[in-house]
Amino acid sequence: MLLSSWSIALFLCGLIVLFLMGFAARSAVRVLLFWDLKSDSNRQIRLENEIWLTSTLVEYALAIQIISLIVFVLAADFYSHSIAGAMCATGSLLANNFGIPTLLIKIGGVFFYGFWIVLHQLDIHSEKYPLVRIKYLYLLLLLPLLVLDLSLELLFIKGLEPDIITSCCAVVFADTTDGGSNLLGGFTHSVTMGMFYGTIGVLIIVGSFLMVKWQAWMVVLFSSGWLWFFLLGLSVVTTEFSSYIYAMPFHKCPFCILKPEYNYIGFFMYSALFLGAFFGMSGVVVEPLHSIEGLERSVTEFQLSAVKLSLLFLILFFLVSSYHYWRYLLIGGEG
Amino acid sequence: MLIELKNVTKIYNQRQANEVIALKGIDLKIDDNSITCLRGASGSGKSTILAIIGCVFQPTTGRVSIAGKQLTRLPDRFLTLHRRQYIGFIFQNLNILPSLTVRDNITLPLVPLGVTPAEMHKKATPLMEKFSIDHRQNFPASQISGGELQRVAIARALINDPPLILADEPTAHLDSRLSEEFMRFMMDLKSAGKTIIITSHDPLVTEHPDVDRVIDIKDGRIYVT
Repeated sequence: MLLSSWSIALFLCGLIVLFLMGFAARSAVRVLLFWDLKSDSNRQIRLENEIWLTSTLVEYALAIQIISLIVFVLAADFYSHSIAGAMCATGSLLANNFGIPTLLIKIGGVFFYGFWIVLHQLDIHSEKYPLVRIKYLYLLLLLPLLVLDLSLELLFIKGLEPDIITSCCAVVFADTTDGGSNLLGGFTHSVTMGMFYGTIGVLIIVGSFLMVKWQAWMVVLFSSGWLWFFLLGLSVVTTEFSSYIYAMPFHKCPFCILKPEYNYIGFFMYSALFLGAFFGMSGVVVEPLHSIEGLERSVTEFQLSAVKLSLLFLILFFLVSSYHYWRYLLIGGEG
Repeated sequence: MLIELKNVTKIYNQRQANEVIALKGIDLKIDDNSITCLRGASGSGKSTILAIIGCVFQPTTGRVSIAGKQLTRLPDRFLTLHRRQYIGFIFQNLNILPSLTVRDNITLPLVPLGVTPAEMHKKATPLMEKFSIDHRQNFPASQISGGELQRVAIARALINDPPLILADEPTAHLDSRLSEEFMRFMMDLKSAGKTIIITSHDPLVTEHPDVDRVIDIKDGRIYVT
């Protein structure tokens, strides 16, 4: 598996990202030690020029790392062709102890890496580098996450053995005997769908309120709501909507919807969910930055745009994810 | 607009074998609505001062402020905006694109600002009339005379109506008649409220009666003010 094109692509991405982040870590330490905007010294002016380049490289590195989540899932799907019992990415990810942790770290990483890019964009929209220290401290904190991400990825791919029998998605995500499901065990279908559509309604109401009148506690509520909805959305897609997309009651899988036979609908669904959740949660991340001189306007503008975008992606996610379900309820079957 | 340089040094190729110290602790204030001439021999550092004021180079140490705004502290994207808004640059070798027409050369600085062609036309026409090059507007720049090229360069520097005009050795390639004409244009600009800084060692410029101040630069330092 180590020599497959997918593995090489993942390792290459990882190495490029590590190299760029290592380069940036050196600048980060210098920023934390020597940054002094009031100084006219050569060191300060050189540092200002240096961070301009470093920050741009980090931005690209983190964007590559975010995209690597997609590559990782597609790679896992590719590996399933060689693993006994695996039918899709689910089987590959369960083939050893590192698959699911890698996936979870990468999903979390999308948000943490993305928030750095948001901080960077806000910083470069001000004339006075107000977030340099914060973003470079954050960058140093991201390094262990990146190393963990890449290490787990390496361990996962290295540990894949074609002769180990794993489970397919139909078994992993199948209904339990009490009528619940493995991911949302204990909740009935109607309660799950009630929570899903109820949360969408609450998010739209809170988001619309925020666009009219900005209140800090509402931002916290909105962002918390999005965190909850992100996890709920992933679960509901797997346990409820996916079987309507596959038109097979017993086929529940979060990965097969990414395949061409289902028109790649999963990409649209997950893109909308991830982007919505990212913008929904980024509002609260930048809220403390309001008080920093020179950032008031750009933070406010970003937050308003983020709320609007999160609502747009929420509606898109609602439409794409619910389409097959509502189509079945209204006109039935595949007809 | 008051231009202020405080303890500005500039070292090219820093920490390399071919390191050159171009400026050594320049302290300078230039009043607005004036014509200032930086005089010095080739390699004295006068063009470097001009390039630093024009945000083309960053100083190695020290600070530069224009109208109270510290340029050395500005990130690159803001420097670019500053250059577009406040500075008109007339280069020593003019930097006119020979394949473009006179009009297109003059309106070139408006392109990154997203100005519509109609508005470009509106802005360029009076400038071309003022500098008597309107009859050449559709000629490629390669087909006009040296004096006309000089006027195209001045018109291009003025197209954004900047308050600060920087001219680097503007008369180096001109005969005395065209140099006189150039200075006459500069006086007109001063009358219109512009601040003008010219680097030159041409007596026609440095000893011109309308130059308010001559600053001598020698070996990267201000020699006599």
